[in-house]
Amino acid sequence: MKTITFSEALGEAILEEMQRDDTIFTYGEDIAKQGGIFGAYKSLLGKFPNRIFDTPISEEAIYGSALGAALVGMRPMVEFHFSDFLFTGIQSITLQIEKIRYMTGGQGKLHLLLRGPDGVSNSAAAQHSESIETIFMHIPGIKIIIPSTPYDIKGMIKTSLRSDDPIICFEHKSLYSQKGEVPEEEYLIPLGKADIKKEGKDITVVTISRMVHESLKAANELVKDGIDLEIIDLRTLLPWDKETVIKSVQKTNRLIIAHETWRRAGWGAEIASTIQEEAFDSLDAPIIRIGAYNVPMPFSSVLQNFVTPDKQNIITAAKKMMGEM
Amino acid sequence: MYKIRMPKFGLTMEKGYIERWLKKEGGLVKKGDSLLEVSSDKISNEITSPTSGILLKILGKEGEEYQVGHVIAIIGEKNEQSQLEKDLGELNKKHLYQNISDKLPVKETKRINENIPNIKASPLAKKMAKENGIVLSKVQGSGPGGRITKQDILAFLEQQQKDDFKIEKLSGLRKTIIERLSKSYHNSITLTNSTEVDFTQFKKQTKSLGVSITSGIIFLLCKVLLRLKQFNSHFEKDCLKEYNIVNIGLAVDTEKGLIVPVLKNAHTLDIKNIQENIIDLSNRARINKVKENELNDSTFTITNLGMMRTDFFTAVLNPPEVAILGIGRIIKKPYIIDEDKIAIRELAFLSLSYDHRVIDGADAARFLDILAQHIEKPELIKNKGVDKK
Repeated sequence: MKTITFSEALGEAILEEMQRDDTIFTYGEDIAKQGGIFGAYKSLLGKFPNRIFDTPISEEAIYGSALGAALVGMRPMVEFHFSDFLFTGIQSITLQIEKIRYMTGGQGKLHLLLRGPDGVSNSAAAQHSESIETIFMHIPGIKIIIPSTPYDIKGMIKTSLRSDDPIICFEHKSLYSQKGEVPEEEYLIPLGKADIKKEGKDITVVTISRMVHESLKAANELVKDGIDLEIIDLRTLLPWDKETVIKSVQKTNRLIIAHETWRRAGWGAEIASTIQEEAFDSLDAPIIRIGAYNVPMPFSSVLQNFVTPDKQNIITAAKKMMGEM
Repeated sequence: MYKIRMPKFGLTMEKGYIERWLKKEGGLVKKGDSLLEVSSDKISNEITSPTSGILLKILGKEGEEYQVGHVIAIIGEKNEQSQLEKDLGELNKKHLYQNISDKLPVKETKRINENIPNIKASPLAKKMAKENGIVLSKVQGSGPGGRITKQDILAFLEQQQKDDFKIEKLSGLRKTIIERLSKSYHNSITLTNSTEVDFTQFKKQTKSLGVSITSGIIFLLCKVLLRLKQFNSHFEKDCLKEYNIVNIGLAVDTEKGLIVPVLKNAHTLDIKNIQENIIDLSNRARINKVKENELNDSTFTITNLGMMRTDFFTAVLNPPEVAILGIGRIIKKPYIIDEDKIAIRELAFLSLSYDHRVIDGADAARFLDILAQHIEKPELIKNKGVDKK
């Protein structure tokens, strides 16, 4: 085992896979020369100059060219710089990338990986702070991975670079510098498999990304109140690991879903609805969803903290659920 | 509260038979809901509820018949439950085994508040309640807004289990009984012979003498025991110690359990003395005033369950004795007497339990035969019993 950062783990995954498969190439804005705006490509600086390169600021061209390259047998991996900017090239993704495999009856393989940062940072305001994974969960045709640790990002990026499906990966800005243990030897993590980050008996918390870490902090603080959280990191949002969640709810009989994206019609609603349909008789309390208030992200750091959910929201919800508030 | 009565289907109907209840006690009932199925000798009908409310109490049992107009259930509001239970409890105490439903001091109102709030319960709690046959209206909810949760159901189940039994530590007397009976049962081979005996004359005679059946039997028993001494003996190690005196152990049912005081030298007593002595002994046994030496040295024991509803039974030996006589209920029956005539006679079974290791079945049969003959020929009592005095 070695201890490395999230971005180092990402870099290792990309390098290992590029060495293994020379159809893989990667491009985007400010990655080759700068190493990515949040340092995601720092460890790749100077490596594979012909296969890692910068592009002009044109999302439409970036995503569209990736689609073309994938269709002729290459494995493009593009960085979207900020998840917010996906909207500027959205038609290439939602109308083309998400449809081609289906419309060709599966004849056109689409080994294509879109990845980049999302979520809040220091006062990045309304156009640079969004988490928009729910949009891609809603429109059929693309897998969604959202790893929360160096171990998970490495194993899941490597698996994604070997997949024949289009995949989108969201990496929370606050995670790149976080450290964690990664095995020396090679490993892969299957998509669609959740990871129970902490076992517990009272409440199941289903979460992803930064909120995994907020949930773990909440769990630590709730120990003194005698409330034992079980924290499930979905890791893959589509397809999400329903079996693991249901099994956990059958044990704890209570469910909280915590995400950074907006609460209103956020993906937590999908999980909540599925669980009440398929595990109704296991529920001992109404399901609680935790998400951001339904406003664009404010510039003020005070207001940003107010709008964005954190461990305190989970602590409050857990106590309410256990009848202590 | 509202009393549900046995309905009258037609002019001639006097009684109705409850086939089955369609609602559970404690459950919600809406006006017009089917409550139960009743059949008369002519037809069977579903009875609908004349009012909405909670079915507080079912008084009419399934499979039983009730007079038309008899109260068979009470419907009311949830807050009336505890008062009703209290009233029922008191009535039950006062009128043991009697039908109490007509004595209920129910203030009958035709109007029941129909705004029965929905019972809030989590899906899991509802499922658990269903699985365990719990009516949710009886469970107190502790969740937000009084919602019943898993925890409440578990607490209810635990309480219910506590209500199902109570644990009582065994008394010293019971422990002694257990020790003696187990030893006797494990160490002997107990068999029982029974025979039905005609008590008609015997009963008349004892009555005219003013003594009990038991006293009369003890009197006769002494004669038989002195004749067949192997029954009046102790079996210890390899020896059978046959006694020339008769000490009769009397099994007495007391609040604390079985006690066997001993009527010493019973063979020397006349029937009236026997009567006085056994009344004194059993009375003192019941108030725990028997002396230690009055509990020892019996040579034969009798146990009488005749005043209760038992006809024949196996009694466990009172070691080191080798036999014990059980007396059953005396009951009038048609009986064939001389010249194949049927007559009404008063009959009872005598059951002799004995240790087969030292007494053969034929001996036991002889014993019962002789004793039965004595009982059926009551001159013995008349002459010898009174003669002695």
